[in-house]
Formats: sequence, structure tokens, C-alpha cells
Amino acid sequence: MNQIELADTLIALVEGIEAPPGTGLFVTEAELEVPMEVSGVLINNSMVFFAAPPHTRWKSGVLPQVHRAVLRVELAEDDNASVAGSQT
Amino acid sequence: MSGAGSFLVEDFINSITVQLDKVQDALRLKSVNRPLTYALRDFSLDLQVFVELDPQGNVRFRNSAANETGASTVRLGFTTITKPMIDENTISMAVTRSPSLDEIGLAPEERRRLEQIGVHNAAQLQNLSSTTGTGTVARLADLRIDRLRQALDLGRPTVKQVTPGPTQPPPSFSPPLNPSPSPIIRIPFDAPHLNLHGSGLVGVGGPATVRLNRQPLSVLQADDDRLIVNLPETPRSGALEVTLPDGNQVSYHLEVEPQNHRPPVSIDADRWEPAEGRM
Repeated sequence: MNQIELADTLIALVEGIEAPPGTGLFVTEAELEVPMEVSGVLINNSMVFFAAPPHTRWKSGVLPQVHRAVLRVELAEDDNASVAGSQT
Repeated sequence: MSGAGSFLVEDFINSITVQLDKVQDALRLKSVNRPLTYALRDFSLDLQVFVELDPQGNVRFRNSAANETGASTVRLGFTTITKPMIDENTISMAVTRSPSLDEIGLAPEERRRLEQIGVHNAAQLQNLSSTTGTGTVARLADLRIDRLRQALDLGRPTVKQVTPGPTQPPPSFSPPLNPSPSPIIRIPFDAPHLNLHGSGLVGVGGPATVRLNRQPLSVLQADDDRLIVNLPETPRSGALEVTLPDGNQVSYHLEVEPQNHRPPVSIDADRWEPAEGRM
């Protein structure tokens, strides 16, 4: 798989939900369920997480395992206090 | 999670959190120049992994390889939380700077047993021992009580030196090495702060409390090895009492030097004279 960081994939997915300009439509909320190939690599003793949609729709016994990611995206409000964190 | 490599669960979660922070930062930057922008509210990941336990008792995840069956599904959910929620659910940063279990002489196996009951540093060990008793901690962690007492003694909060701030004072301001019941600390009348140097000065319940003439002094900065407290505008000489996080109290006598007090000046010192007087 391509070594694309999870952050870059997620930003691209969020960018993708915008309605085309000039249509007068606004997407206010979206939930995306995306298959992902994931891998982790140790760089300078810290783990970097790579994740990207599978490069093919074919299924075979030699392709990497596909995992599932779900994103819920909303229009941003002016809440500078919110930060990312785990809920596990 | 490449190939046969496996990772600690906390490393794994940290690496995802770093990536999510990057996403939030990037989206927030975009909002500066764009009228509408999006925020990632929730993110969940269903991972096909093999869960392993290493010899040290740590849980590790190993990615399921191609055509490998029988993997577990681990669902990790991430959401946005607010700063008050972080404050509620995390231990104070000052407490994390307390000496580690390693620094108070505990062996790796002893550390692991204490970590299993939520003790990661000297302050937390001190707190748990004072709450439940050292014997209970020793029994729960399956440790010898004398080893635990030894570690508690090494990590016990102490005050080694008290100095006026903010300037570094000459050594004469320090209390004597063999203190009498109330060592004397001399400070200039205009000293704004008092610095306490020692160890274990911040416990789980908060920093050590300092009182001058029974009046509590507000804390300006608290760290495990240093506490800075504000002095009143016109401090008066009197009893300085420090109550350490483990409940022990240390007393000093604070002596405020009078306003007109000047250090002795040698008569032979070079006197100032008008320039023409020297010619």
C-alpha cells in the first residue's frame, strides 16, 4: 500500500464532502464509512500510523487486510476549546 | 502494524491521536481564510488484529496479515473533547514530574505490580499509602512491606532549602545544615517571593501549603522540586510553616530585614569622586 499518513487521508476525505461551488448547497453533516488498509512504522522510536483506502477492489489471499473506518464530520462551530482525544 | 511486528496498545493509540490532532489543526487553519469549514467530530476504526500478551504482561496488537484468519476486531472510537473534560479525566501535570518508581529504587517487577494498581510515581504511591495504609498496598501489589517502606522513605517529600526570590541569594540565606527546631531564614524586606527547594513538593492532592504567621501564602509556581510562593507586600517576621503533601510539617522562623538595612561596606572601597577631582 502507499505510505499515506492517516491524517492526510482523513483531511482528503473531509475535503471531499463539500458541495460543488455555485450549487447553493451546503453539507452540514456527513458520516463516511471507508475501508482502509493500515500499517504502522516506527520512525525515530515513535510509531507513525499510515492508512489509506485499498488500492484495488479485487479480493485475493495475497492482498493486505482491509479494516473499516467511520468518520463523522460536521460544520465547524466557533468552539476553539475542543481538541482531539480518545474515547476508548 | 506492518508484517509480523506488534505494537503496544498505548503506542498504537498515541500514534492515531497524533494523526487526529494533525487533522484538527489543518482544518482549523483552513477556517482562517474560508467561510465554511468542517471539523472531525468522531472517528472510529475497526481493526483486524491479533491480540498478544508479551512476557512483561503488556498487551500488544499485531496486524492481521493477508489471508490470515481468526483475527479479533478491535473497535477504537475517538471523539472531540473539551479542555474541562481533559482536566477532569487526567492527572495533574505537576504530579507526573514526581520521582518515578525507578528513581525510588523499585525493581522492574515491583514497578509493574504497582502500575497494575494505578501507581506510576512516588506521589501516587505516597497518596495511596496514606489513604489505604502501606500494608494494604503491599498486599494488593504482592510486594514486601519493607521494600515498600524503603521506597516511600526515598520518595518522601522534603524541603532542602528556602530562599527569597526572585534573585539568587547568597548562601547565608539558607537554613543551617543541622537545623535547630526552627531554622532562621533571613529575607530582604522587598522580596516578592519565597522559593522552596526540595522534592515531592506536589502531591496528588495539590502542592505543599505554606503559611506565614498562620496566613496561607498563594502559590505562584509548583513543581515537584520547587515551589514559589508569593510574600505579602510588607511581610512581617514570624513563623513560616510548610505542610508537605504527606501531611508532615516543617517550621522555620522567617526574619525580614529592616528597610534601612544595608550590607556592610568596606571603608577602603573605591570612593566615587567627580572626574575633575581625580585630575
